[in-house]
Amino acid sequence: MSEENGSAILIRGARKRYKPIVGAPQRDAVRGVDISVAPGTIHGLLGPNGAGKTTTIKMLLGLVRPTAGEFTILGEDSTQPAGRRNVGFMPEQPYFPQHLRAAQALKLYAQLGGVPKDQIAARTSRLMERVGLQGREKTTLDAFSRGMLQRLGIAQALINEPTVVVLDEPASGLDPVGQRDIRNLMLELRDSGVTVLLSSHQLSEVEAVCDDVTIMNAGVVAAEGDLDMLLNVEGRTSIRARGLGDTLPASIASEATSVAASGGVWVFSVADGAVRRTVDAVDDAGGQVVSVAPVRDSLEDYFARLLVSTSGEGDGR
Amino acid sequence: MMSRIIPIATAVVADSLRRKVVYIVLVFAAFLALAIPALPSYGLGVEDAVFREVALALSFVTALVLTLSLAANRVPAEVERRTVYNVIAKGVGRWEYLVGTWLGILIVTGGAIAAFTVVEQVIALVKYRDAMWQLWQGALAVWLEMGVLAAFAVAVSAITGPVVVVTASLAALFAGHSRSTLLGGEGALGLRPFYPSLDAFNVVNPVAHGSGVPPLYIVSMLVVFLGFAAMSLAVGIALFSRRDL
Repeated sequence: MSEENGSAILIRGARKRYKPIVGAPQRDAVRGVDISVAPGTIHGLLGPNGAGKTTTIKMLLGLVRPTAGEFTILGEDSTQPAGRRNVGFMPEQPYFPQHLRAAQALKLYAQLGGVPKDQIAARTSRLMERVGLQGREKTTLDAFSRGMLQRLGIAQALINEPTVVVLDEPASGLDPVGQRDIRNLMLELRDSGVTVLLSSHQLSEVEAVCDDVTIMNAGVVAAEGDLDMLLNVEGRTSIRARGLGDTLPASIASEATSVAASGGVWVFSVADGAVRRTVDAVDDAGGQVVSVAPVRDSLEDYFARLLVSTSGEGDGR
Repeated sequence: MMSRIIPIATAVVADSLRRKVVYIVLVFAAFLALAIPALPSYGLGVEDAVFREVALALSFVTALVLTLSLAANRVPAEVERRTVYNVIAKGVGRWEYLVGTWLGILIVTGGAIAAFTVVEQVIALVKYRDAMWQLWQGALAVWLEMGVLAAFAVAVSAITGPVVVVTASLAALFAGHSRSTLLGGEGALGLRPFYPSLDAFNVVNPVAHGSGVPPLYIVSMLVVFLGFAAMSLAVGIALFSRRDL
């Protein structure tokens, strides 16, 4: 199904109802969620705590039984084991048997992932280096810090060279350098054709790497789509200009909002229909236009606004 | 299929071998085996029969402690620590995970029983100049029975915690050896064929008295082992498949 419509990951009508102990009310953690992830893209899954992100991911990967819905990865039913063989998953906190050495852990997951025996050592070595754990192959995992376990979790997810990778809060517990490494790794994966589904609270991380996002709140999809489209403030264009002196000319000031000046550079926004007129006014005033760009919201602002507008619609998880 | 089951079983074996309880139980059992000749009933010309009977009982208790300590905790701990996430998400079927876990426990228990039987044989050789090869038939029976018990324990552990698993397993073991007591002899003959009896694995008499277990009986033990283990695992798989992790 998903291959027909071009999706690497396709979730249709996902629903999860937790049956309570007798007497307690039933609770719907996820209520009819649809998500489509295009191949070779990084798709962000956002939402506040309790939005239903992790439950949705767990249903996708067969860890939680869906109450309803279709879940396919590369066209195969991912609730069945065979449908997950080409997938890498890193849970929110990577959990490993603590007595294993790092290389032993990767060997175990390589075997489970069907990696040919003669390739396991090379892949282990390459991935340990890629996630910055070279030289730690023989260290037992009970001596690993949270950040090191996080890095090993990513190596574990990639050991079977998956076509689709699902990462749940991959940068959690990492220092800034580690976070940057993970961002670069995700971009490299995308460039090599791998599809990444990224669940994260770190909006800056999502904004930096994601092509598309799905924002969940209270168990439903609150917004979805191309990140640039979502964050674009419709009908407004930002103009940066210099050489206009200390006071903005009246012909420009009458059109401009959100006006700011710093180091001789004026920044303001105008209605899309007034762009041509304003650029001419800058020229007439002896100034120079430095840049003209659509006004873009920050993901943080957009996210906050969206959650306020969709709050009180249910109780996700 | 086996390419996924074997690594899981191997991981169970590796995890078990680092547990102190395995070695403590084995050493303690070996000391008890050395003390068998000091038993009050030892003598009257039946020393070797008493030795074989007590040695078999020691093997049973040792294997029982090991089986329950390994089987009761493995699945609940992996679910609680969420190490099972990485396994299931790699495309491993839940049934493969349970069967692999059971197989790993079976291997560890088998190794422990074999090691203990060797210790008993050494004692027998030193004390009686007799290798007492019948002890291996008894060891096989104990191992097969523990295999059934491990399957039952793994099945119960698929949905509950260690305390319930141990309690339920001991209850099953008791019930499995109490058919006559619970069914009341001839009063419930109709139920006898359906009763999940573990008496098939009781080979104390032929082992202790040196006559040995007939080959056909060993085959029948294998059939009972496979039937009970498969049924228990099937129920465990059905329960585990429905569980949210």
